[in-house]
Amino acid sequence: MMKLSRRQVCMTGLALAGAAPLLAAGAAAAQQLKGGTLRVAVLSELANFDPQQLSTVNFHVIKNLYDSLIEYTPDGKPQPGLASAWTIAPDKSSVKLTLRDGVSFHSGAPFKSDSVLATLQKGADPKRGKNVFSTMSIVKDWSAPDERTVVINFKAPAPERQILDLLQFLIPIDPKGIDTVETIPAGTGPYTLVNRAVGQGLTLKANPKYWREKQPIAQDLVFTVFSEDAAATAALESGAVDIVYNGSSRSAVRLKGAGYQVFAGPGPLVQVFRINSTRGPFRNKSFRQAFNHLMDRASILRVGYAGMGKVVALPWAPASPAFDEGYTKAYAYDLDKAKKLIAASGLSADEMKGWKLLVNGSDEPSIAISQIVQGSLQKVGIPIELDMRQGAEYVTALLGGDFAATFGAVGNVQKFPSRVTTNSIYRTSGNPILKDPHPHPAYVAAIAKVDAAAGGEAEVKAAYDNLNRVLVDEAFGIPTNSYDVGLIVASGKIGGITLDIDNLFVARTIGFK
Amino acid sequence: MSEALRSLGKLLRRLAGRRGPALGLAFLALVASAATFAGVLPLDPLAQSIADSLKPPSAESWFGTDELGRDILARVVYGARTSLVTACGAVLIAGLIGIPVGLVAGFYGDWRDSLLMRCVDVLLALPNVLFAMTLIAVLGRSQAAALIAVGVAGIPGFARIARAQVMALRQLDFVTAVRSFGGGPGYLMFRTILPNILSPLVVQAIVLASIAILLEAALAFLGVGVPPPTPSWGEMLRTGKSYLYEAPTYAVLPGLVLTLTILSLDTIGRALTALLDHDEAGMPAEAAGGRR
Repeated sequence: MMKLSRRQVCMTGLALAGAAPLLAAGAAAAQQLKGGTLRVAVLSELANFDPQQLSTVNFHVIKNLYDSLIEYTPDGKPQPGLASAWTIAPDKSSVKLTLRDGVSFHSGAPFKSDSVLATLQKGADPKRGKNVFSTMSIVKDWSAPDERTVVINFKAPAPERQILDLLQFLIPIDPKGIDTVETIPAGTGPYTLVNRAVGQGLTLKANPKYWREKQPIAQDLVFTVFSEDAAATAALESGAVDIVYNGSSRSAVRLKGAGYQVFAGPGPLVQVFRINSTRGPFRNKSFRQAFNHLMDRASILRVGYAGMGKVVALPWAPASPAFDEGYTKAYAYDLDKAKKLIAASGLSADEMKGWKLLVNGSDEPSIAISQIVQGSLQKVGIPIELDMRQGAEYVTALLGGDFAATFGAVGNVQKFPSRVTTNSIYRTSGNPILKDPHPHPAYVAAIAKVDAAAGGEAEVKAAYDNLNRVLVDEAFGIPTNSYDVGLIVASGKIGGITLDIDNLFVARTIGFK
Repeated sequence: MSEALRSLGKLLRRLAGRRGPALGLAFLALVASAATFAGVLPLDPLAQSIADSLKPPSAESWFGTDELGRDILARVVYGARTSLVTACGAVLIAGLIGIPVGLVAGFYGDWRDSLLMRCVDVLLALPNVLFAMTLIAVLGRSQAAALIAVGVAGIPGFARIARAQVMALRQLDFVTAVRSFGGGPGYLMFRTILPNILSPLVVQAIVLASIAILLEAALAFLGVGVPPPTPSWGEMLRTGKSYLYEAPTYAVLPGLVLTLTILSLDTIGRALTALLDHDEAGMPAEAAGGRR
């Protein structure tokens, strides 16, 4: 048996101690709340039941059908999940997990180390790993000394936060159902699937063998898909549903004013003006840097997101360890500074125009904020047109890099900073927009430095500061604002909302007052 | 031709004598004048003032402001340009293609008729909006694409009306007389028959204009019309519906102008049809066709 150091014991103990008040609070709330049928309006149809496909359209089901190895509190503190304890080796080259006893999958199969191994195997597969794949890049191999223990080894010493992010991202799947998980859920979660009507919604019922005490509170969970935000909010106001999940910020602001409860999670997205620095005038660094000052961030936040969010000049949410408020002030909207940088670029008027701003025509905030940028560019003498594309046509252009510039949100901005590389524009290799070799080697080196900063606080902070400096200097992504995804608007009779670090919908603690 | 135009003028004067069509004509004249002289009015449809966004109607901005603080009245006026240009362009495209197709098909009545009419039937079988969206997907999103899409969708209407009229007139004595004097097919179709079928074609042009305005608005509402920031009534409706709670006038006022424009065109079209039907019923057959 591995001997634990004092630090390791402390960490394990802290994890368990941290969970205690949360469980106590949950139990207290559970006593006051009543069960019943919880009716939730959602604005998008589910893509599939694969928990490794962490797309916003799947956000409403993942945490209701599955559990993570560990959870984060809204302020980023790790809590035990299916792993009741974890121990990071002193050299940070491995982590040992102790799996929770007495848990079973919806199929009835007991939760053991084989399911964690199968989940790791899937995540490490480039074809099946989906969103988890890039996070698995730090993992060298894994083993299971017994049914209740798993050890994950890393290729190199990894920062603690990066290890915890990996554990939080790992959602064990029943090995028997891992090949069919896209169509049939195979988790340990608080609810089990009853039926799904594609395009209309799905019904879940409480898992009678769920491991968390007195959870879930609501016996039935009914999701209804609404194609229009206005229809969903009207359903809430008429009492046809109890909660609207992932509606628009504008509706949330209005409903809050009308007395409804609004909950914004700690995992916002950051809107980024993505620049294809391999094209036209954007090859010029000074021209790109001008866009740091061409973004009227306050107006973008107000018009696009009803003021719900925060203006930012870096791709981090305020909860991120790399977030730095100073950059927002230093790179504020300033047309004079922008004009000076444009002049310093040495480009002629003809060279600066002639490109189009790609716009997601299906997304109203994107249309509005693109027009704000178009107006700012007009003021500095750069007339441009908007290239409106709908749905799949836009996504194809966005992910294929077939654009000069466009707005696109980035996620994973509240966790370990190098997680930002899961977003296409910030990828350090195989970047579909900037291609290989990466045209900004300083950025690639800055990300590598962050990943290697497994030492003291000063080393970590220096690595983050360096990355921030490089991001505004290379200026191929110009962040404008954070905004809330997965907003929860609930009627007054609902209580027990739990905020998830990724803003996923957690129904197990919700009940009726 | 000048006689035909004179009779059209006479028809318009008779229209102006009726209250409904007269109101429609007056409203259309107002919209057309505003669209034509928008440049000289103190209105800027593109000037943004985010601090003044979603303001209700006031003395400064009669229709209020949109989400970017732009004057909605200015955008309605300039949006009229978009709508009218689309309507006129669509009528022109549909007329220039549809009328000759109908003339040839109706005049010859042989395999050419079968071939052309089957092509027209194919166009007619395609739902207008779907066809327009397909065309825009190929040509890209622009005012020209919307105009061509609506124009092509209007071809069958002109072709069928022209064909039916030609078939009714081609055996009449005045056509036989011109033929006996050596008039060739081209002369007969375009100089003899066409001037005598102008009235129903004008009615069709008015009907198509209203369909074109509505279709352009529908395309913009679906997000495939004229790209922003170019003002368009349909685009304003599309965006305005998101702000119905905060600024109801944003969607309602452009919608009202659109409705009144369609209503005016429809009223005029119906009145014209009624007048023409009344004239034909009251005239001897020879007199009805023998205008040359």
